[in-house]
Amino acid sequence: MSSQQPQPAAEGPETAPTASAAAPPAPSRLREAGEAAAMYLGCIVAALIVSAVIVWATGGSWQAVFSALLDGSLRAPGRWGETIGIAIPLVVVALGTAINGRAGVVNIGQEGQVMMGSAFAAYVGVNMGGPGPVVIVCLLIVGALAGAMWAGIASWLLYWRRVPEVLTTLLLITVASQATGYALKVDWLLLAPFREDRSVRNQVSDQLPGGVRLPRIDIWGNDFPISAIAVVLMAVIVFLLFRRSVWGFRLRMLGRNPRTAQRAGVSTVKYGTTAMLISGACAGVAGAMMLSGGDFGNYRFTPGFANNIGWEGLLVALVARSHPVGIVIVAFSFAGLRAGSGFLAATGVEREISQVVLALLVLALLVPPAILFIRQRRRALSATRDRT
Amino acid sequence: MADRRTAGTDVPAVQLTSISKSFGAIVACDRVDLTLHRGRIHGILGENGAGKSTLMKVLIGLVLPDRGTIDVDGERCQIRDPQDAAGRGIGMVHQHFSLVEPLTVWENVMLGDTGPFDATAARRRVAEISERYGLGVDPGAKVGDLSAGVRQRVEIIKCLRRDPSILIFDEPTSVLTPGESERLFDVLRLAVREENRAVALVSHKLDEILHATDEVTIMRAGAVVKRMETADADAPLLARAMVGREVSLRSEASALGLIETVAESAADGEDSHHGEPEGVEDDSGTRVPALRLRDVVARGLDGRVSLDGLSIDVFDSQIVGVAGVEGNGQTALTDLLSSLLSAEAGVVEVDGVEVQPGRPGAMAGAGVAVIPEDRHASGCVLDMTVAENLFLVDIERISNRGIYDPAVMRRDAARLIEDFEIQTAGPDAPFWSLSGGNQQRVVLARELSYSPKVLVAAQPTRGLDVGAIEWMTDRLREVADSGVGVLLISSELEEILQLSDRVAVLFRGRIIGEMDRADVDLEELGLLLGGAGAADAAQEAGVSA
Repeated sequence: MSSQQPQPAAEGPETAPTASAAAPPAPSRLREAGEAAAMYLGCIVAALIVSAVIVWATGGSWQAVFSALLDGSLRAPGRWGETIGIAIPLVVVALGTAINGRAGVVNIGQEGQVMMGSAFAAYVGVNMGGPGPVVIVCLLIVGALAGAMWAGIASWLLYWRRVPEVLTTLLLITVASQATGYALKVDWLLLAPFREDRSVRNQVSDQLPGGVRLPRIDIWGNDFPISAIAVVLMAVIVFLLFRRSVWGFRLRMLGRNPRTAQRAGVSTVKYGTTAMLISGACAGVAGAMMLSGGDFGNYRFTPGFANNIGWEGLLVALVARSHPVGIVIVAFSFAGLRAGSGFLAATGVEREISQVVLALLVLALLVPPAILFIRQRRRALSATRDRT
Repeated sequence: MADRRTAGTDVPAVQLTSISKSFGAIVACDRVDLTLHRGRIHGILGENGAGKSTLMKVLIGLVLPDRGTIDVDGERCQIRDPQDAAGRGIGMVHQHFSLVEPLTVWENVMLGDTGPFDATAARRRVAEISERYGLGVDPGAKVGDLSAGVRQRVEIIKCLRRDPSILIFDEPTSVLTPGESERLFDVLRLAVREENRAVALVSHKLDEILHATDEVTIMRAGAVVKRMETADADAPLLARAMVGREVSLRSEASALGLIETVAESAADGEDSHHGEPEGVEDDSGTRVPALRLRDVVARGLDGRVSLDGLSIDVFDSQIVGVAGVEGNGQTALTDLLSSLLSAEAGVVEVDGVEVQPGRPGAMAGAGVAVIPEDRHASGCVLDMTVAENLFLVDIERISNRGIYDPAVMRRDAARLIEDFEIQTAGPDAPFWSLSGGNQQRVVLARELSYSPKVLVAAQPTRGLDVGAIEWMTDRLREVADSGVGVLLISSELEEILQLSDRVAVLFRGRIIGEMDRADVDLEELGLLLGGAGAADAAQEAGVSA
């Protein structure tokens, strides 16, 4: 029995239970937070320096590039409103991703779920009729249901036939893309009616009527849809669910050790499916918010409407390590980069180069959580190694 | 290699001088000297954590020492990795097998070889070794079909094939029946006496050391505390040196691996631990058992039928020990009682109420607490905090309409941490930061906190040292005294004999023999462990049914 200790004295305390507390000290939270902050800062500074060198080496002005990014995301009139508008769906998608991640189920099909959500929302918004607020609520609900349905297919296949959800969620993006593309081609689904004043018939849906658009808030010339408030509330709710609810506790148990969870009474199928459905619903409602909010596609559903928001939301959740508060901050940063990139063209720097700069900045945000994750795993591993 | 073996006996085969190794702040080996001579079996005795495995890993090249020198056959060298060690004629038989089950014996032996090889020659070589040492291993047999004892002999063949002049055995008997252990020691003596090899036998069992070795080195807390000829040693002396204080061989016999002492205590009628209710058997017709399994058939997580018509009763206040060589269904039995497996046939009852074991949480809900064999697999969540791990099963107790207060959880956890003397930085410390013994305490604290009717303890003392074993043993008795039925599943016969009121023997997924602790006959028990009574038991079962 004794061959299994790489750190023999680790079992030491038991020989003398009365000895002073000899448990290995757990690193303090404050110190960990400080280290994480330093790591983020270091990575961002490094990315900025490398970007500056690249821009400078290709004959551009790095000052102009960074200044354009700041102008586009925050400084120029109305821009931070724009940034918030982009951040809204990112936060919602990421919150959903955090939930399924907590349960240990993978969902990487948010992009498709966003498409389905926005397409169904567009159908309801254009065709339902009735008082505006009622229609808005309905289109949001239908969007959520559509996203949940799309994720539900993957989770059903997973628990019915053990088809890996990584594959199904991913592949369902393509299906969603083709299905919504088809819907935009036929009159009885989404295709806008033919209008005399247009010579070409675009494959776009009808615009949402004025009454079924989300009201916008205007602060000092920066305007964004009121869904921003709902999104912050959602983040708070998810935060509380994670922190204080039995459901969140059990979800985490399932994600971290399914066998222990099963023994403790957490049904993998029940909790896993719920998590997946919620995740899909979040992506779906994000799509519905994009459509009715106006920051994407001018209240029309178009091909490519999802515009990588699903993917980016997934990324936000990863970077924020599924922490609801972190998600809001990271989503805002990513939205800022997206908004700012619109201004890069005016700097005269080649598009390829400015894309590299953007990618470097995203990478700078991705590296620290990866390192933290690896470190955590390694610590846990070294604690358990050979103890089986 | 042959000439090396015939070298003068005054040159030690291995000379470790002043070996030190630290892992972070933990000193595993502190200036340890060890000398292995040809033609002798050298016992290395010590508790868990004494540093004996680290020392052996230094010798086999798995661990590089911080300081100290190694001489093999009088030649100073550095051993960088196991290949290097093999090149110098050092081979090790590890405690845990590394065999590929679907492959045959000879294929397993050849694994790891590179380049073209001759299958017929390989088979012949395996058969040859098997015959020379009387191992009785069929080269063509599939490893998956072999018992643990035979598998270990396959490991020995793997090691002997390279004709090592220095052999290391690491806790070799933990998966063997007493009879199989005896055979193993015969093999060892043969290898030593006739072929002049040097053998190191690592163990924490006094019996083994006393019976099988020529000289012994005793380690404690990373240092050598005693070195002597085994002939001059006796059990009390070794025990004192190993534990570092006077120990009662009687009360700690199981921790020290003294099976005969344990057995004697029953014969002397001194088996005076908690008052077993007299006449349990007489009542058994009318009393409802806390846990009853009837003809349970279940497939393990690997899909094989692991429980094959198992029946057992556990009454309250009673400790029923399930003895058996590992791999006879212990894991599946624990898994079944942990709601991880469904029963394909048979009935599981708790307090007379039938339970569907496969439903998530069913067994825990019915009041069956479990200390699992592998606590990391189903007993805890490593990434959660100590407090959270204390409430995995019954968080409802501190929640209201699905909401709980982390502060309340922390407070309650702090109380349990104090009650169970868990050494931790606090309720918020991650579970993985605890040592094995303290993790086990957390599991026990949690399982007892929901007032179970039955406690299933699967290999509860595995990997713990004497102090921790003692603590756990005392707790199990207390639990039984408080009225809970205890099902103790263990492959340590000493532990079973020391704790149980009744002993049941598990073989190939069924109970093939059951007896009162007082009626235990060691020889008969040994035969049962090897499956000898399987036919009789089947007959008996047929009669009683």
